[in-house]
Amino acid sequence: MNTIDPSVPGRFSRRGFLGLGAAVGGGMLLSACGGGSASGGGNLKFWDMPWGQANYTAAAKKLTEGYQPADGLPGATYQGIQWANFSQTFSSAIASKTGPAVSTGGGFQAFQFAEQGAIAYADDVIDQFRQDGTADDFLPGQLDAMKTAKGYAAVPWQLDFRVWWYRKSLLDAAGVEVPTTWDELLNACRTLAGRGLFGFGTGAGAGNNLGSQGLHLMMLNNGGGLFDPDGKVDVVTEANLEAMRFVQELVKAKAVDRASISYTTDNLITQWKNKKVAMGIHTAGLDTDTGESDGDLQVMGPLTGPGGAKAGLVFQNNIMMYADTPSQKGSEAFLSYYIRNMKTLWQQNVVAGLPVLKSIVALPEFQAQKQKAKIIAEWAPVAKSFAANSKTLFGGLAAVDSSQPITQFAQTVLAGKDPRPALTTLQQALEAIVK
Amino acid sequence: MTVASERDTLRPDTAPPSEISRTRKPRRARRTLLLLVAPSLVLLLLINAYPLVYAALQSVRDGSLINAGEYVGLENYRATLASPAFWRSVEFTLIFTVVGVFGSWLGGLGLALLLRTRIPGRTVFKTLLLLPWVVPVVVSSTAWNWLVATPQSPLPSLAEALGLGTPLFLADPTLAKITVCVFKVWISVPFMMMLAGAALAGVDHTVYEAAGVDGATRWQQFRHITLPMISRSTYISWILMTIFCVNDFPTIFLLTGGGPVDATTSLVVLSYRTVFQNFQVGPGVAIAFLMTVSLVVVSVALYRQIRKAHV
Repeated sequence: MNTIDPSVPGRFSRRGFLGLGAAVGGGMLLSACGGGSASGGGNLKFWDMPWGQANYTAAAKKLTEGYQPADGLPGATYQGIQWANFSQTFSSAIASKTGPAVSTGGGFQAFQFAEQGAIAYADDVIDQFRQDGTADDFLPGQLDAMKTAKGYAAVPWQLDFRVWWYRKSLLDAAGVEVPTTWDELLNACRTLAGRGLFGFGTGAGAGNNLGSQGLHLMMLNNGGGLFDPDGKVDVVTEANLEAMRFVQELVKAKAVDRASISYTTDNLITQWKNKKVAMGIHTAGLDTDTGESDGDLQVMGPLTGPGGAKAGLVFQNNIMMYADTPSQKGSEAFLSYYIRNMKTLWQQNVVAGLPVLKSIVALPEFQAQKQKAKIIAEWAPVAKSFAANSKTLFGGLAAVDSSQPITQFAQTVLAGKDPRPALTTLQQALEAIVK
Repeated sequence: MTVASERDTLRPDTAPPSEISRTRKPRRARRTLLLLVAPSLVLLLLINAYPLVYAALQSVRDGSLINAGEYVGLENYRATLASPAFWRSVEFTLIFTVVGVFGSWLGGLGLALLLRTRIPGRTVFKTLLLLPWVVPVVVSSTAWNWLVATPQSPLPSLAEALGLGTPLFLADPTLAKITVCVFKVWISVPFMMMLAGAALAGVDHTVYEAAGVDGATRWQQFRHITLPMISRSTYISWILMTIFCVNDFPTIFLLTGGGPVDATTSLVVLSYRTVFQNFQVGPGVAIAFLMTVSLVVVSVALYRQIRKAHV
């Protein structure tokens, strides 16, 4: 064992070593506790989710990097965030003050964080949009959907629909007309089931919310929904019960794959690809997901429910600003820039969602995508938000969408169980979550 | 080298110690040792204790992921213990852990015993057996999903061809529980095989020879020599696997997401869903705390067995 000679220069003494250790430990501690801010080297941090195919992130990054701030305002840096555990990612970043200044995110994230005091309201941006005419470019009702009692929680930038799709070749082969009403849907499902095909393709397995969202769409189509006009949970209603009994009929008619309650999104897409599913509720990107462009997969028109109503389900994805920002004016300037220039993302066809601006809808590149154009033309006017029948969106929705109770509810109903107790259980569970 | 001699070596002066310095030196040395370990201790406290204490505080508050919220006392614990979903998760966690621990132990020990014999291609066999443990769970769960998820998947198709109907391995609650447990055992067997293999290598062969001379059968040798001789390692493997099973999130979440209808929701999955999907931070952390306490109790009980076990 070597002895340590304190008299030899350049070698550590015991005290020196301890001092160095303390310095290193202290340094680590300080760096760990130092936190950060929503600025990245003086710039605003813009966090964005993967909203499309692999080339989306590169296009969105390029758009961000093309931002030229006015004098005195900070520039912007782009950061892609994965969907896996995104709530956790945003929450911990905000809590530790290392979060973004501006971001996209979950459809209800802005409302959730607004209630927790972490959002900078976008009223000034909207006012500016009203003055320069940009507000008129938004599809009807989209800006208003962002309004809360304290102000606009965010600015919408794209729409995520749940709509009915069908595979034309399978319907043609079965001699089935494209349904326009629930009765026609049930009859079509019975005919298709006779050929071993599923007329209500869905999935409620790990990470797949299409099952619960499909049921929600059926409720909305029948004038029901999860909330009353005041935003209170209101699940056990006659309209919802009738809609779920109709789904039960579909299950009995073998329109629903028995295994679908455990289907992941990939499983469901595989069933569409394998032509086991003839009709079903899906996102606007089904044909992209299956890799088809021959027009065999087509969007139905909105179905007419028993009460004569038509409805769709839409999630208004939005861009939000955070209270923790190096410059509020900078956040607003960047958000305005992004909204005004985002059409390039649709021109490059890299976004899965549908545009919220009329000028983008009118682009030839968008109109060339016939199914998406049809959704905007036919589904957008009748689509309702996840909060329906509440007049406004609110933070509690983030805890409802893809929550445990709603997934459990979907699995129960799609398994053909009695919907009344399932609705009652859902009511109780959601009441505990939405406060 | 003893601690005392190390201490002497570290001493800069070589003069004979006086009575005073003799009493001061150990104190000084203790202080030195304490200062040396202090940085590590501080880091450990920051990494482990701080989050634990913070989580404990969250479990008695009605907060969100951003805000601490109001103090609610033991309300989160009361609500958790009164929740049927919690007790269903306790039941599944117990099933999953018992099957996971003993299933993988039996499989691992069996394979370790098999690999002690002179079988051709033993090294290749050993390597292949390690694959389930080595391959990321994301990959293996995708493979298992492909095997069983749809009625057209290989295993349901095989069952149908054999006239056994079309089992819905992930859609039927009972079958989903069995599938998840079997998946866990499949993943864990290689780890248990390695531990058992290492323990078996330490058993002296002459003991078996002596037992053979005394007329002991193979079963008697296994029962009265092998098992007692590897008992320490066995208890350690049980402790480790119990911790792995109770805390196992990806195996369950990737394969079933806790469904169907919560049939495969373990405590850790329930805690995750409560915090990050339902945004009920207090109750979710309370579940995690109850889980941790139970795990510590089981681990301590098993650790006591190690101390009693045959060397």
